[in-house]
Amino acid sequence: MAEEAAIQAELIKKFPFLESKVRVQRARRIYTEVGPEKFAEVFDYAVKNMHFCILCTITGLDEGQVLSFIYHIAREDGTVLNIKRSVPKENPVIKTITPYFFAADIYEREVMDLLGAKVEGLAPGKRYPLPDEWPQDQYPLRKDWKTPSKGTEAKQNA
Amino acid sequence: MRKVIIPIGPQHPALKEPESFQVVLSGERIMEFSARLGYNHRGIEKACEERTYIQDIYLTERICGICSHSHSSAFVQAVEDIAGLEVPKRGLYIRTLIGELERIHSHLLWLGVAGHEIGFDTLLMYSWRDREVVMDILAMLTGNRVNYGVNTIGGVRRDIDADQLKQIAKAVDTLEDRTKYYIDIATKETTVIERLSGVGVLSHDDAIRLGAVGPTARASNVKRDVRKDDPYAVYAELDFKVVTDSHNDVYGRTIVRMGELLEAYKIIRQIVKKIPDGPIAVKAPRKIPAGEAVSRYEAPRGEDVHYVKANGTEKPERVKVRAPTLANIQTVAKMLEDRQLADLPIVIAAIDPCFSCTDRMISVRNDGQKRANMMKWEDLHTYSIEWYRRKGIDFSKVNEKFKKAVK
Amino acid sequence: MSFISKTINWARMKSPWIIHFNTGACNACDIEIIAALTPRYDLERFGVLLKGTPRHADVIVCSGPVTKQITPRLKRIYDQMASPKFVVVVGTCACSGGVFDGCYNVESGVDAVIPVSAYIPGCPASPKAIIDGIVKLLSSLEEKETKAAKKDKKKNG
Repeated sequence: MAEEAAIQAELIKKFPFLESKVRVQRARRIYTEVGPEKFAEVFDYAVKNMHFCILCTITGLDEGQVLSFIYHIAREDGTVLNIKRSVPKENPVIKTITPYFFAADIYEREVMDLLGAKVEGLAPGKRYPLPDEWPQDQYPLRKDWKTPSKGTEAKQNA
Repeated sequence: MRKVIIPIGPQHPALKEPESFQVVLSGERIMEFSARLGYNHRGIEKACEERTYIQDIYLTERICGICSHSHSSAFVQAVEDIAGLEVPKRGLYIRTLIGELERIHSHLLWLGVAGHEIGFDTLLMYSWRDREVVMDILAMLTGNRVNYGVNTIGGVRRDIDADQLKQIAKAVDTLEDRTKYYIDIATKETTVIERLSGVGVLSHDDAIRLGAVGPTARASNVKRDVRKDDPYAVYAELDFKVVTDSHNDVYGRTIVRMGELLEAYKIIRQIVKKIPDGPIAVKAPRKIPAGEAVSRYEAPRGEDVHYVKANGTEKPERVKVRAPTLANIQTVAKMLEDRQLADLPIVIAAIDPCFSCTDRMISVRNDGQKRANMMKWEDLHTYSIEWYRRKGIDFSKVNEKFKKAVK
Repeated sequence: MSFISKTINWARMKSPWIIHFNTGACNACDIEIIAALTPRYDLERFGVLLKGTPRHADVIVCSGPVTKQITPRLKRIYDQMASPKFVVVVGTCACSGGVFDGCYNVESGVDAVIPVSAYIPGCPASPKAIIDGIVKLLSSLEEKETKAAKKDKKKNG
């Protein structure tokens, strides 16, 4: 666990506001949470200076009052740093990270479609993964969105 | 330069066709390629939140029928992480064994599909015949040919006995012989080499920049393999190498997959020898305590990432799945840049995409044309084979040679 | 008539051409359908040929739980087939939605969109089950044809 402790120490040294916010869960898994004003700085440092050069994916979560996004970035030695940032649900605006990772494009479109995030700076493109006819203001992955019952049971009870 | 593609197949000019791929040509050269994905979007992540953890094992298994064990293992690993469960060694060995058998069946399947896309149909028939050897073993061990249902939270559900281990060892010997023959064909037959070389080129730097994973990346000399970089199950205890190649093209991807088959046989032999006695699972609680975990698994197609967040109930709070094909599909546009339309089928087949092969519609537009023509995948497949036949690449002689040589 | 002779009989009088269509499945059933055409199971010995276009096909073999994007295309392909046409659904997802029953982007089964002639359950349906299902469908057609032929004979005296 020496590697993980070293990464934790480096992050806290560079960003003292992360003190007590960097958690080493097990070998090769580190979690941290950053406020909106400081996210870009921390992310930039992790990618450019700490060699987290692989973007695994971006997970969007509905956490009640806020929408959270976890950026799962990894290094060649297998360590995964999971950086979480939250934005208010009424105005869920985040900036794209495609300048760092080209592949982020599709993951950002996914959180836009399924959670209603607004990602600034994305090149124009098609939506993913919902169909074109899907109504614009329906976000299936939000907690208050209930799957309409129309499965076999519903068919039988109809 | 005003060559128009004549559409054959079902289409209605008035109705909007939900095409999957859009290609803009100039003459025969592809200037632009874009993919519209989401046809297989079934709402699995939402469904996972509405079902219990045990039900989700079976649901994640069916994300993809070819790498089903990969998805259920990745999911189960994340949940075991959150709950702090330590899976007994024997359980992990069995999980790894099934995972490698899945890799074998997937790569043999790919070999057949690649053969079909270039017009080498005999290869399809023979590699799928060999694949049946693996399917029999999987059916013997798990009760099903696909969707094995062998994982549970805390371990595996079925044990193996000494007799089954003997049969596995024998099957691996047979498969190794046949695989060596396929490698021979791929590296010595000029028709195959000509057809696959220089096609679907992805440079080392592009592979990294675009986020390619699995054999697609390794064929561009990107030495990344989750089994080595971020070991899970028992891979840390096994001796195997990560197969890479520097051809950067479809030929390279073929070599990498064949190499991985040989490594898989090596791994399985070690498992058969080293598998310890003991229990195959620990008891898991129905309610998983609050927490989160990220699990990575090297599926046959590449890195599969699962994120699970638990909230103390029997249903997960959030399940996120990033399948390997999603990472690789973004490299296809680069690979097709300035290539001819006839290369499209094999380039897409070479990333081993995990969406159905038959419902893909391609919208082809020529520079200056306002409306696009629609092609079905079958038509593009036929067009591609014809195009190369006119250039002298014909597999009918190779088909004959192959049939005579393979018993 | 024993099952074997029944099979040989319809094989002689009918060589069904099929078109395969995936409506958003996980691919397991599709692989098993293609496996049914490979040497071990060899559906082609019954004269079953896999065709690329619905205009030449007698039977459409569907797999998958029918996602919303696919529904219009499925309808269109069905409309383009010439009568008499039959729909065979392969796999539990195509029969009723399977594990995806109730998911928001899924119609829960092919029969929500087009009329189905035969259901082959299984997750996935094994190649043996697929062959069994197609043979049963075609045997039942032969019986219908024989009955219709007898009726005609009676009518015409």
